[in-house]
Amino acid sequence: MRRKLLPYLFVAILVLVLSVGVSAQRVPELNIMTTTEGYDPIRYEAAFLIQDNLAELGIEVTVSPTEFSTLIQNFYNEQDFEIAIAGWSGRVDRLDPQHFLGTLESGQSDLGGNNPGGYVNERYDELFQLQSQEFDQDLRREYVLEMQSIAMDEQPLNILFFRDEVVAYNKDNFTGFVPMAGEAIYNEWIPFDVEPLGADRSLTIGTTQEPDNINPLDSTTVWGWKFMRMYYDKLIRLSPDIEPLPWAAESVEAIDDNTIEIVLRDGMNFHDGEAVTVEDVKFSYDYYQEQDFAYFRPFYQPLEEVIIVDDNTLHFVLEEPTSFFITVTLSQIPILPKHLWEDIEAADQLSPEDVPTVGSGPLVFDQYDRGEYKRLVKNEDYFMADEIDIDAVDFNIYADSEGVYTALVTEEIDMTAWRLEPAQINLAEQEDHLEVVSVPDFGYYHMTYNLRVPPMDDIEFRRALAHAVPYDTFINVLLDGLGERGTSIIAPVNAFWHNPDVPLYDYDLDLARERLEAAGYWWDDEGRLNFPQ
Amino acid sequence: MGKGQYIAKRIIQLIITFFIILTILFFLFRLALPDPTAALVMDGLSAEEQALVRARFGLDRPLVEQYFIYLRNFLTGEFGISFHYKSAVFPILMEKLFNTLALMLPAIFISYLIGPLLGVLLSWKRGSNTEFAGIVGGLFLRSAPVFWTGMIFIMIFGIWLGILPTSGMRTLPYTATGNFDKIMTLDYLRHLFLPMLTIALYYLGLPMLIMRNTMLEIMGEDFIELCQAKGLSERRIMYKHVARNALLPVVTQAAITIGLAVGGQVVVEVVFSWPGLGREMIQAVRTSDFPMAQSAFMMMAGLVLIMNTVADLLYSYLDPRVVLKGGNK
Repeated sequence: MRRKLLPYLFVAILVLVLSVGVSAQRVPELNIMTTTEGYDPIRYEAAFLIQDNLAELGIEVTVSPTEFSTLIQNFYNEQDFEIAIAGWSGRVDRLDPQHFLGTLESGQSDLGGNNPGGYVNERYDELFQLQSQEFDQDLRREYVLEMQSIAMDEQPLNILFFRDEVVAYNKDNFTGFVPMAGEAIYNEWIPFDVEPLGADRSLTIGTTQEPDNINPLDSTTVWGWKFMRMYYDKLIRLSPDIEPLPWAAESVEAIDDNTIEIVLRDGMNFHDGEAVTVEDVKFSYDYYQEQDFAYFRPFYQPLEEVIIVDDNTLHFVLEEPTSFFITVTLSQIPILPKHLWEDIEAADQLSPEDVPTVGSGPLVFDQYDRGEYKRLVKNEDYFMADEIDIDAVDFNIYADSEGVYTALVTEEIDMTAWRLEPAQINLAEQEDHLEVVSVPDFGYYHMTYNLRVPPMDDIEFRRALAHAVPYDTFINVLLDGLGERGTSIIAPVNAFWHNPDVPLYDYDLDLARERLEAAGYWWDDEGRLNFPQ
Repeated sequence: MGKGQYIAKRIIQLIITFFIILTILFFLFRLALPDPTAALVMDGLSAEEQALVRARFGLDRPLVEQYFIYLRNFLTGEFGISFHYKSAVFPILMEKLFNTLALMLPAIFISYLIGPLLGVLLSWKRGSNTEFAGIVGGLFLRSAPVFWTGMIFIMIFGIWLGILPTSGMRTLPYTATGNFDKIMTLDYLRHLFLPMLTIALYYLGLPMLIMRNTMLEIMGEDFIELCQAKGLSERRIMYKHVARNALLPVVTQAAITIGLAVGGQVVVEVVFSWPGLGREMIQAVRTSDFPMAQSAFMMMAGLVLIMNTVADLLYSYLDPRVVLKGGNK
């Protein structure tokens, strides 16, 4: 009996050894983590399109649609992923390249950092330092362009597409909207640009998004800040073309590498009638540092101290030259009234009814009822009050985008604060009173590889994959033409900083196969891709 | 023995059940929902900053410790600080609860007023086309999803006719100082109309059909024959003798419905952008706002339990045949 069994055993062992031998060389099944269909059908479908294409290359892929906050948790906090499809929203302070470039800096690759893929490139890191300290915009631009070439060439992530922001407004009632990249028409220029056409001088904005709170030292959402910046003033305002304009500042000048001189505009008042002084400006910046407000920390971190030179001049002294200080920090940190805040020791402990809402901006805070309504009225005392043609901005808060769209149709609201759903765009175009506006975004959707996991650690493998991404299908099918194919991490619409000369990877499966073959990858009898021998 | 003992026993049961629900809620949210700080990462918070946020919300402590803090807070009536709004949960919850009840109570009132009356009518007209139409209509309304009926109403009254508002509970801008200011206006009634109609129609079918079925059962009983023999009018028999006895199951149903009403008709609140508790619950779960979600569900569970107990106790008054018994004997 034993003798009869032995050969069988031998064969079984042989098969086992061989199959282990073979499968050890096989590229393992890879996992793509993406959003659920309910959260974002586009990212969801994109993952399956990529799955199909990688199958063509003999790479088995599973797709895991994941609930959004779990996805964020796995992706950033735990870095527990192989390939992840995620996105960065285009916020106005991200038009400065600092933030997006930082997502590939090696210093941010720790758990919870912005570089979850773990990309490390010495030259890239070096350029990142250089550009962040360079006040000379042209020189800085050169560094930024080179960084984009490196990232494109090495493919630590693949930019899939840029999605247009499609919004609508009532053209019978209001005109003059100036769209801004990433912000569409709900931007800071509304008070100055929008003109009423009829008797109704209150612009009503419909939105589903709501501030988490309206405490300028506690709000950590874009929607809190998009609201508060309407009634707080800043030293700098970014023009619709992203040019930094001195605003509450009369002039802004870098007098040496580490010092910026600010001359404050004369005759500005807070909404309670108190004058805006250099004391208030210094207080605001000191207060943010002292309260250690994490959300703004990257903005004020380079600041060493603010010195009052005379009644309307201040010196901002930086720890080291910081190129984004003028464009980002000075344009984002609000000027707070010292007399209302100086006695508040822990600003984040304030209960909602105690939060001061006095600013010095073009609009005055009037009302906020959670889940229902917000209202701002014109600041008649503003230094540019003559330019403001509307009397008030009302915000109606809806439970979902269906509610917002219905309100557009019934003329309950005059404009939307956030993008329309794809199905609503066609309907909106058929309404006579609506104007549909499509604005390119500089936020991007990307497929990030975990570079710690083979074969994603192989640069040739990633380059080949870049040829297997159906960029045009994303735009034409998933986005209905309303978007642009992915290029560099600095989007084309951000024209000054974008590198138009980076060579793109075209969708070409044959080329992908050639590149894999040239790198030594091979296909077994089942057509599965194997590691180089 | 007796009534007092029975009530005491029910209350002890209620407390135990509630404690179990509290415990389940605590662990359910923490195990099923992602870390609340995850949502903040999109805004570029570093690991160190997230740790600060976690510490601020007490999430850095061991789960068991968090659980005891949670129980202690509950006993002292402390509902905690919302992670999302970063302000006290209780006032937010109360405001939303008021809004929800301002929608749900009128709707339930109307459906439980009209529903049983229609039920009487249907059983009376047994076998007729009226009964057939009533049953089909009742089942139809009961099975039509509320978001669908709601959207149909929005289309007809809001868009085509343009005579009724389709969202919110008042016309903006407005100023209201207190809760009663909010609802003592014609404007509120106009806003109330469509969502209330949607909910009332949905709730209408159940009491109507329950009423009809129980009526038919009771109509077959001996004492009805006796009433007829006594020569009482049909109307009098129907309303005075049959309907009164058939009301019991409707009362239980009404009590449970009111209990559940605290959570609102989430879908209706979304379709009509009603600023109620249901919307808040969705948001709380979506943002992993544990204190908010726990408190909202806790309140709902508490009310369902209380209303159930009340219904049981009410039974003995409505039907003398039901005797409250305290225990083992």
